[in-house]
Amino acid sequence: MEWFDAALLSSTIRMVAPILLAALGGAICARVGIFNVGLEGLILIGAFSAIVGNYFTGSVFLAVCFAAGVSMIFSLLFGYLSIHLQANAIVVGLGINFLALGLTTFGLRAIFDVKGAFYDKDMTGLPKIDIPLVKDIPFLGEVLSGHSALVYLSFILAILLFFFLYRTVMGFRVLAVGMNKVAANSIGLKTNSLQYLAVLMCGILCGMAGAQLSLGQVTMFTEGMTAGRGFIALVATMLGQSHPIGIIGSSFLFGLMDALSVRLQGFSMPTQFTAMLPYVITIIAMFFLKDRGAASQMSEQQSSR
Amino acid sequence: MKAQQRIQRLLSPLLQPFIAIFIGLLTGAIAISIVGAPILETYKELWMGAFGNFYFMTSTFARATPILIIGLGVSLAFRAGVFNLGAEGQMVLGAVSAALAALYVPGPGIVKILSALIAGITVAGLWSLLAGWMETKFKVQLLISTLLLNYVAVLFASFLVSEPFQDRSGSAALAQTPMLEQAAWLPKLFAGMSLHWGFIIGVILAIVMYFIFKLTSVGYEVKMLGLNPYFASYGGVNKTKVLLASMFISGGLAGLAGTVEVLGTQYRFVDGALTGPGFAWTGMMATLLANSHPLGTAVTAIFLAALETGAMGLERNTDVPLEIASVIKSVLILLISAKISFNWWKRMKKGRDKNGMV
Repeated sequence: MEWFDAALLSSTIRMVAPILLAALGGAICARVGIFNVGLEGLILIGAFSAIVGNYFTGSVFLAVCFAAGVSMIFSLLFGYLSIHLQANAIVVGLGINFLALGLTTFGLRAIFDVKGAFYDKDMTGLPKIDIPLVKDIPFLGEVLSGHSALVYLSFILAILLFFFLYRTVMGFRVLAVGMNKVAANSIGLKTNSLQYLAVLMCGILCGMAGAQLSLGQVTMFTEGMTAGRGFIALVATMLGQSHPIGIIGSSFLFGLMDALSVRLQGFSMPTQFTAMLPYVITIIAMFFLKDRGAASQMSEQQSSR
Repeated sequence: MKAQQRIQRLLSPLLQPFIAIFIGLLTGAIAISIVGAPILETYKELWMGAFGNFYFMTSTFARATPILIIGLGVSLAFRAGVFNLGAEGQMVLGAVSAALAALYVPGPGIVKILSALIAGITVAGLWSLLAGWMETKFKVQLLISTLLLNYVAVLFASFLVSEPFQDRSGSAALAQTPMLEQAAWLPKLFAGMSLHWGFIIGVILAIVMYFIFKLTSVGYEVKMLGLNPYFASYGGVNKTKVLLASMFISGGLAGLAGTVEVLGTQYRFVDGALTGPGFAWTGMMATLLANSHPLGTAVTAIFLAALETGAMGLERNTDVPLEIASVIKSVLILLISAKISFNWWKRMKKGRDKNGMV
């Protein structure tokens, strides 16, 4: 078995999508000065509601919309607590994670009456899209073509977000809030509304990330299926310094690690070490990033109570 | 008017947890009615499952033991303003080292127990110190590094018990160490009950910590650093030293929690047996609910454990799923985090002052 081929890159791109979508959401939040630890929970809720939407409507499109909507509601809760009531965003984020885990497992029992995982063979996943000309190119075709619409959308959204943040007036205002909320407020920006806007966008993105997770590759939901991807996305946000293009790069790195650790399991290496790889690399990467991009959170992080 | 103010001041710290618990239970009631079970009956079952008889009550206390000890460690870190989210990894590493020490250190039972305790506390403390060292030396954010180190520790422990130290005596190759010999077990408090001496250790620790915070200068320094780091360093508190010390102690306590769980309940390290029930995260919740107060943490730890054991009883006797407990718990944590009742109360009062009505 080769350890590097087109299939590896193809699965990398597939694994990048949920991380990238969520990391973009984390980036918008970071840009308005909110450190969103709740990504994990928001993705989980998205993944679960995507399955619920798919099961009851039978339409994949509606399922994705439903996932984005439900995640948005929960991100609104996050926003209300952390912006309006000024609770510590980290604690609220952790609370959202617990709530997501509890609600989704509870929902599994209450809605589908199963424990652990839900799978229905009648459900259709996200359709794979072949790009007309590209799919005929030997190596590239196999890598780039044949992914779900959400995978392509994630890359498009990253570029759109870049233009939104750096080429529009609204984007500049969002950036201003993150740099100095008091100053932004003093020139008459509606800082709270802009923060809410960012948090809601984050919710939609996480919902889509969850939909890709539960409908993209296998059409099923398992308890706690995010398995730390939200936190990986959070770190991808920091590694990419909350810049959309940087995040594409960092998400790609983590997606590659994810795909590699699955691939290396085929060799005789103990699976624990391959599974550890993304986390170790992230820790090492943290040494080189220390106080850029993340600097604004340093002061906030120290105040726990 | 004066008396009213005094009563308000007396009750306001109590008001917040009580309103939070009330709303939490209300949310639980909604969830129960969604699955179509009778609400009061269900809550009665929940209570019975947690405190229904002496056996259930001791089981609840046994479950509260690791939650309490971890909660105490985290509360120390939080008091110092150190965001240690790595309790899970520290607990697991402590537990696996304790199990290995109890297995391979020669000597009578008491030597094995002591060496297991020492190994569990130091290994977990040093692991936690690693994150503290990275923060102070290289400015690697503690919040993120502790989170990431969790995964590394849990996976490493899982490797240890599935490869080099696996129990190969049984027919099924489970990821666990061999059983400890009976001399190395922590004694039970009551024969036939699951409650063991770890609970007493936890309660004593809570009381000791309460007095350290209340009476000693070390406790004051830690508190000052948490409340206002700039003022603390102006006042001559060595921030680095306090950070490293609190990381070591909070990690060590997490390791102790894992150790007593191994020595007192499971008698071996089983992969996933400590992470599955989410002891570490529940311990953190207990601390947050109690606002990092050691004695309060003891109460909230028992409360959260009671929710869990009660929910188990609920699942045994009714159709309501076990996860109802985690829904109630997370609603609680969200409410507490926002200090929702308190702010709501303040705003209402302010509004009344302004408008003269409402």
